Amino acid sequence: MKIRKHLLLFFLSFNCILVLAQEQKMTDAEISTFKQSVSVVAKQTSTLRSDFIQYKHLDFLSKEIETSGQLFFKEPNTLKWQYKKPYNYSIIFKKGKILIDDEGKKSAVDIGNSKIFGKINKLIIGSVSGNMFDDKEFTISFFKTKTNNITRLLPKDAALKKYIKQIELTFDKDDATVIQVKLIESSNDFTKIVLKNKTLNAKIDDSVFTN
Amino acid sequence: MQKSTIQFLLISFLTTLFLGSCATNNVVNGFEKVEIEKKIFINPYFSNPETDYVYKANIEVYGNQLSGIFIAKKINETTHRVVFTTEFGNKLLDFEISENDFKINSIVDELNRKILINTLKQDFRLLLRKDFLVDEQFAKTTSKVYKSKDGKNFNFLFISSIDDRLYKLTHCSKTKEKINISFTSENNIFAKRIIIQHNTIKLKIELNYLKNN
Repeated sequence: MKIRKHLLLFFLSFNCILVLAQEQKMTDAEISTFKQSVSVVAKQTSTLRSDFIQYKHLDFLSKEIETSGQLFFKEPNTLKWQYKKPYNYSIIFKKGKILIDDEGKKSAVDIGNSKIFGKINKLIIGSVSGNMFDDKEFTISFFKTKTNNITRLLPKDAALKKYIKQIELTFDKDDATVIQVKLIESSNDFTKIVLKNKTLNAKIDDSVFTN
Repeated sequence: MQKSTIQFLLISFLTTLFLGSCATNNVVNGFEKVEIEKKIFINPYFSNPETDYVYKANIEVYGNQLSGIFIAKKINETTHRVVFTTEFGNKLLDFEISENDFKINSIVDELNRKILINTLKQDFRLLLRKDFLVDEQFAKTTSKVYKSKDGKNFNFLFISSIDDRLYKLTHCSKTKEKINISFTSENNIFAKRIIIQHNTIKLKIELNYLKNN
């Protein structure tokens, strides 16, 4: 029994070492290079189109809730999330407004009325473009693995902090674009969005962003 | 003059009396009172602790449309955990509910209104309720109705006789129908579509099961 416990401890600590070995803190020089490459890519990105899969993790559920679709981003600050599975739902962030199409039922919300919506909007757009290293808004830490760079952002704003404890952005090391966004709530439940099949700077018609 | 006043009062009284018993009569209109076949009706929907009950939720409240994801899970013999999130996954409301207890784990400021919380508490306590004591029973060829006392109010449970499926739950006071919950299901243990319709306030909640999960 005791041996089994020791073995278990051994394996657990081994796992911990493995995890630690996989993820390392960036050096100051690495942070500066990484920030610069993200900023260059963000500046060069006028449009972005990508498939996404969203996983909602709630500790009390036995399975994560999976939804998927496509997202479209166009400078300046126009974004559309289009869920296709298991339902049709799209949400467009455009010029201070949110346009919603819920299975054909259309509506519009003025972000101007909601400070928190404005912040969430900025956060979502920032997450997709990766350009959100704002020290005034977040306490940011930088990590690297063999294939990815990871940034962890802790909101400073009290209103935002209430809903989101931490934002974790995972970047592809090769092209400095975001491949995964993880929004962790104060309860440790989280939403993970994985971006796939990305196309940068292809023409996206303005009609995509109309309801 | 006095005669007509008395007549008027009598008519008013009779009308009130008629209206007073009208809720029950209307609800089971066309049904015949029969002998009770069981003392307790067990609600099969939301009863399996192994199942994650995940629905797309559409809420119509006084002309406003809201939507999101509704999640419910039975976490122990008496209690369900209920979470509402936006389509993005942001949690709007997270609570635990049983017959006698109600605990909010988290709620966004915009929804933190007593009247809203109390309405949702009432609706979901009714929806997730495990069993109902049967006080009276009514029947017609295709379906039967169990009437169950709920404090000062009543619940009427409509069951299809063919497959023993709960297809409607009506919550009413002595005088009026307050809430109607209709269930669409392929079998008698899982509801694919649920509509909670309020008759005293302009509120309708529609839940459609998410097939992925």
